Amino acid sequence: MTTLSATTTAVGPHIFWITSRAAGIAALVLSSMSVSLGLTMAVRLVRGKRVEIRVAHEALSLATLAALAVHGLALIGDGYLKPTLADVAVPFLSGYKTLWTSLGIIGFWTMLLLGVSYYLRGRIGAKRWRSLHRFAALGWALGLVHSLGEGTDASQAWFLASIALVVVPALALLAVRWLRLPAAARTEATA
Amino acid sequence: MPPTDDTPPTDDPRPDRASARAAGIARREALLRRTRRIRRAIAGTAAALFCASFIAIYAQLASGHDPALTADAARRATASSKVVASSSSKHETEAASSSSSTGTTSTTGTSASEGSSSSSGTTSSSGSSTEGSSSGSSAVTTSQS
Repeated sequence: MTTLSATTTAVGPHIFWITSRAAGIAALVLSSMSVSLGLTMAVRLVRGKRVEIRVAHEALSLATLAALAVHGLALIGDGYLKPTLADVAVPFLSGYKTLWTSLGIIGFWTMLLLGVSYYLRGRIGAKRWRSLHRFAALGWALGLVHSLGEGTDASQAWFLASIALVVVPALALLAVRWLRLPAAARTEATA
Repeated sequence: MPPTDDTPPTDDPRPDRASARAAGIARREALLRRTRRIRRAIAGTAAALFCASFIAIYAQLASGHDPALTADAARRATASSKVVASSSSKHETEAASSSSSTGTTSTTGTSASEGSSSSSGTTSSSGSSTEGSSSGSSAVTTSQS
């Protein structure tokens, strides 16, 4: 019993921190799945089931944004870092690992703006919206870099394994998309 | 012989249109059902993912294996050991200075400040040179930290 109490840590004071970390991991997994589905549609990997894939892509994106909101807001309650709302919402304001934190914040805003723009594509124009929406993958990449650079669990095997499961397919699809883009541009130019 | 007109006309478009409309409504409802099912499944997946991560981190932290807290504890342990080392060196320096006040080893303090103890070893008696050398090295450590 003495040994157990010596090796354990009081969890109570860290509950906001744990919540933020868990939400961050969930957001990374969900966003990776969303990006994968989006790229699956973009490279026309799956014939048919387009509506279902689009619905899943949209739902995953909304779930990602919700998880990111929990990730940032829960951190405000942390008694160790004690960040303000501005610290977690405005890039280059936080004094804690400023670069990595800012990358995450920029990634969040990129994903939020480009995600919400889906509902405004009537005003923006479908073609313009589609070319804008490509940058959502950039927001995801920034989030990935943020989690690997700043994430408390970034050195843990279980974290890396679970992230690799969803990140590697997304990166592969992103590579396919980039490789196909010049070909598509050539086809459009000749048409 | 002309054909009897008992059979209903087959070219009436109304039944086909109604059935097509019914089929369309059914298809749309099926799509809505599928959409709802997908959204519910993803909401459940997201909640499960969050809960699984939360439990994993909670268990890791509660068992004392959290990466951040372990690193923090190691850093604190290093810092406290340095403090202990510096405080012990202070005690030794004080002890050495008190022994030098007796007049037996007046050069020990000098050797400690210079960091060399060979000269003090030759001049001092009853092992005060060892103390002098250790305090000399400790004094250097303290000034670095």
